[in-house]
Amino acid sequence: MSTPVGTPRLEAASERANRRRGLLLALPSYVYLIVLFAIPLVFVGVYSFASRSRTGKPELADWNLDAVAKLLDSTVLQIAWRSTWLALLNTVLCLLVAYPFAYYIATRRERVRNMLLLLVMIPFWTNFLVRTYAWRVLLDSDGLVTRLGEGLGLWGSMLFSAPAVFLGLLYGFLPFMVLPLYAAIERVDWSLVEAARDLYASGWKAFRRVTLPLTRPGIIAGSILVFIPSLGAYVTPDILGGAKTTLLGNYIVGQFLAARNWPVGSAVSMAILIVMLIATTVYFRSGGRTF
Amino acid sequence: MTAIAVGIHSVTKRFDEVVAVDDVDLEISDGEFFSLLGPSGCGKTTTLRMVAGLEFPTEGRIDIFGEAMGLKPPNHRPVNTVFQSYALFPHMTVAENVGFGLAMRKVPATEITERVHDAIDLVRLTGMADRRPKQLSGGQQQRVALARALVNRPKVLLLDEPLGALDLKLRQAMQLELKDIQKEVGITFVYVTHDQEEALTMSDRIGVMNEGKLLQVGRSEEIYERPANRFVADFIGETNFLSGRVEESGVVRLAGGQLVRAVTHDPVGTEVTLTLRPEKIHLYLRAGDVAPGMNTLTGTVHRRLYYGDSLYYEIDFGFAHVDARVENAPRQQRFEPGHEVIAAFSAQSAEALAE
Ligand SMILES: Nc1ncnc2c1ncn2[C@@H]1O[C@H](COP(=O)(O)OP(=O)(O)O)[C@@H](O)[C@H]1O
Ligand SMILES: [Mg+2]
Repeated sequence: MSTPVGTPRLEAASERANRRRGLLLALPSYVYLIVLFAIPLVFVGVYSFASRSRTGKPELADWNLDAVAKLLDSTVLQIAWRSTWLALLNTVLCLLVAYPFAYYIATRRERVRNMLLLLVMIPFWTNFLVRTYAWRVLLDSDGLVTRLGEGLGLWGSMLFSAPAVFLGLLYGFLPFMVLPLYAAIERVDWSLVEAARDLYASGWKAFRRVTLPLTRPGIIAGSILVFIPSLGAYVTPDILGGAKTTLLGNYIVGQFLAARNWPVGSAVSMAILIVMLIATTVYFRSGGRTF
Repeated sequence: MTAIAVGIHSVTKRFDEVVAVDDVDLEISDGEFFSLLGPSGCGKTTTLRMVAGLEFPTEGRIDIFGEAMGLKPPNHRPVNTVFQSYALFPHMTVAENVGFGLAMRKVPATEITERVHDAIDLVRLTGMADRRPKQLSGGQQQRVALARALVNRPKVLLLDEPLGALDLKLRQAMQLELKDIQKEVGITFVYVTHDQEEALTMSDRIGVMNEGKLLQVGRSEEIYERPANRFVADFIGETNFLSGRVEESGVVRLAGGQLVRAVTHDPVGTEVTLTLRPEKIHLYLRAGDVAPGMNTLTGTVHRRLYYGDSLYYEIDFGFAHVDARVENAPRQQRFEPGHEVIAAFSAQSAEALAE
């Protein structure tokens, strides 16, 4: 009896084998994500419904919705709004600063381009906390930035004010905006821009109607990369803003450490996660489509 | 006299060290189908881009209908381009692509809709208006690019190898269609191609380029029958080269010593190369069959190649080999390798080119 060379059964078997090989490649990532991310996340979720002993110790008994109800508390909502605005404003600021810069990098010749990209990434070599403290020195009353502003007669010491916080956030998150934008702009087919110019578009119109829509995936990726961590930012507002106003980040830290209220801290964390998940999905759907 | 649509005056374009276009002078008439023909890298695209305003001349001047273009950006020039890679906007539908130029010029929306509709019909893409470029075949994308340019009714349409990406059958069909569309809309076409057959069949006039220089401008017949130099003769169609020297006006002495009548342009004693197309050579077995007044050379059949519609005989004259093309017609005499044959050709079909 001869074996048929190609049968649907053989084809299916080979596809299964291919899938198994693929799984093997992804296995380390899966293990990492499950052990260090998914399981702890389940703990956080579970603690949202836990109760507290009289000393404040979380107890995995007497399951209740008290912490979840606390989410609708006006203080929490106010903090959430404030954080959202801060993150949104920071995202827009980053976008406005990063887009021209990424455009500039992407349109340089290769050697210059690699140099500039390296410069964008160099700050990552130093710890974020250290760099934020460096800003504190710069913005202090006898700091370089302050003295420059006073010399020009434009500004005084910004330390412990809103501008200082935004300056710090902009500085901290700019690379996360620049890199995806660079990747998107670098991939633009410039003959499309030339075609637009040939079809009577001014330089600005060609940018608005062709370059900008073509780089939208980069704008979306960069915005998400900046918005999400900005929402939970607490190092920068604490160090440069003087912890004058409470943001989601400080609030959660406070609940876990100072107030020893793990259920509320967990519930707020979970709420942010769920809202972000929904928002990101909608955002991606709206513009992530490929042509 | 018809107006000059495009005037290119002593234009040179340098990119650092590379001279892409070298002192080109050219005038293209209104309503003409003009082709720029030359091998890849000879400066055709650069010339076209300078007319479009996507590149500016290093030296010289470009006029469109008598108006000096100077450093005018592309959006202020009355020309449109069909790009080599089509350059269709991937994020727009066919209708949006076609209407782009009109929208940029603030044409009222109702008029845009109407003209886009007509343009899509003109290139026979009716019903495809809402598709995206990715959902179209190469030939269809090419038509969208054409409609997107034509809908603006430019004074001059620039086409950069618009059929280069299509396969042979489609290309031939599109050649005829393009020619028809040009007649219908009556605007000047400047057509860049490296395909000599395409240039010969479509154009009113052809400009042959090589290494940045414009070597010859003329109608298809002039370019093919009366090439100005060896490069043009070689690049357009197939040809044989025979070296010799001008003996007297209209007579050339070949390297083998034979005297033949030819078209000469140079003074007596000039070293020349005769160009002789394979299909202009007739082969005979007996001298008595040759029509009177023809040049004759005697040689032996060295090789025979069968091409289906024709046969090529490589004839050895001792001092040179030439190819002769014979139609594969019924009752046509066949020759075998080793046969002694007489190759006959008229004086008009042999052009003497100075080195
Ligand atoms: N932007 C550019 N920078 C440097 N060299 C270029 C540029 N554009 C064209 N060239 C050079 O100019 C010459 C002519 O190019 P091109 O006009 O594209 O030729 P063609 O269209 O006839 O193939 C080529 O040698 C090419 O490498
Ligand atoms: Mg080209």
